[in-house]
Order: sequence, then C-alpha cells, then structure tokens
Amino acid sequence: MSLAEIALASSGIFAAFFGLKMLFERSLYAAAIWLLGALLQVAVFFFFAGAPLLAFLQIVIYAGAVMVLVVITIMAAPGSAGLRVGPLRLPKFLAAGTLLIPLAQVALFLSLGGMGKGSLGGEMGGQVLLGKLLFGRYAAATELVTILLFLAALSIVDFEVKGKA
Amino acid sequence: MTALVWAVTLALFFSGLATTVLRRQLLAMLLGLELMISSVNVALVYSASLAHDPDILAVVLLLLAVAAAEAVVGLGLIMRAYSRGIPAETEAFAELRG
Repeated sequence: MSLAEIALASSGIFAAFFGLKMLFERSLYAAAIWLLGALLQVAVFFFFAGAPLLAFLQIVIYAGAVMVLVVITIMAAPGSAGLRVGPLRLPKFLAAGTLLIPLAQVALFLSLGGMGKGSLGGEMGGQVLLGKLLFGRYAAATELVTILLFLAALSIVDFEVKGKA
Repeated sequence: MTALVWAVTLALFFSGLATTVLRRQLLAMLLGLELMISSVNVALVYSASLAHDPDILAVVLLLLAVAAAEAVVGLGLIMRAYSRGIPAETEAFAELRG
C-alpha cells in the first residue's frame, strides 16, 4: 500500500467515524460539529486522491458556507426547540480535534511525500483542465447549475419577503 | 484499497440515510442529506482517481454546487418555519396543502 493510499484510507476511516458519531448524537450542535469533521475528512480524501481544487471547494462551500448557515439556523431555533437542540454536550477538545485532525493528516502525509509521483490522481484535478471541461464540454450543465444557484438565491429572498408580509 | 473505500462510502451513506430517516428535526434530516451527498462524491472522486478521468471531477464539481443550492433552500425553509412559529419537526409537516 502506497503512502497516498494510506492517506486516503485514514481520511476515509475518520470520515466514516465522524459520520457514525453524527448519527448517534442527540444535540444538533454536536451533530453539526461531527458533520463538519466528516466533511473536512472528505476534503482530505479529495486532496490525496489527486483533486486539490475539489478539496478546496469542499472546504469553502461545505465546511465553510453551508456549515455556517447550519449553525446560524440552530442559533435561530426559538424557545423550547432551541433549548432542546442547542446544548453542545461535546467536550471542547473533541470539537477542536475535528478541525485539527485533518490539518495534522495533511501536514504528516505531505512531509512524508504523500503527493509525490506515487499519488493516485497525479495532476488530474488541475484547475486549468477542469476549467476547460466545465466551460467546454460541460458548458450547458455549468450554465444550468448557475441558473439553479441563482434561483436558490431568489427563493431565499422570496421567503424573507413573504415572511415579513 | 477499493474495498476499503467502498466500505467507507457505504458507512457514510447509510449514516446519512439513517439520520435522515430516524431523526425528527428537519435540520438533522438536512445534515443527513449532506452526508449522503458527500459519500457519493467520495465514490466518484475515487473512481476518477482510479480511471484518471477528469470528466468525473467536473461532474463532482457540478454536484457540489447543486448540493449547496439544496442546502441553502432547505435552511431557508427551516428559517421560515422558525419565523412563523412552526416547530421545524416532521410532525408539523405531515399534511400536504394546496
């Protein structure tokens, strides 16, 4: 088993562990933190599978934007619902560990040469190649997804307007 | 190695599925959906790395965007339920209307 495969296996096992912890967690805050850990491990998996751009987007979109929205939604839970789902019930060092473990994995495997010539994906996920694909062969799909994102943004504005009316 | 990745993918997917099916809070169900989508992405990226096929990565990138849109709309609906005083749990949405 090469170093890249060991890196992939470790990130996959951690992701599965965090996913199972999320399943058995009653507090939504704690469940969100376990999900964040799983999503970060998936990003590490992407990185060592030869798709660093996807790993970056996974962190920015999921572990960043979506998880911030999830936490804001939990904080906005009113009254009794907020009290029921709110408490963290998770030791802070464990919560910090979900963030620190991926960093430690990347640092460890990079220092050992995990992204060398033996890397599984090589240069497969380069942004130039992905850009050519997205705006070439998959241009129609890219446009459709763009329209979908625009409609999602519009729907949020619509919810807000109707909520205030 | 392939068997291990498939086991991880299945564990992630069924954790998400169980969260979506067994939990009553809409937000927890949404978290389960996110986990299921991530598990599919793991399988696709691993397949791409085995086949050295960047086309699959382009599809994963589009999937990421679609999943983000789905999460935003879902969270917006939950916030709307909160603002109207409706508990964001499955019992409150047991009937169709319209």
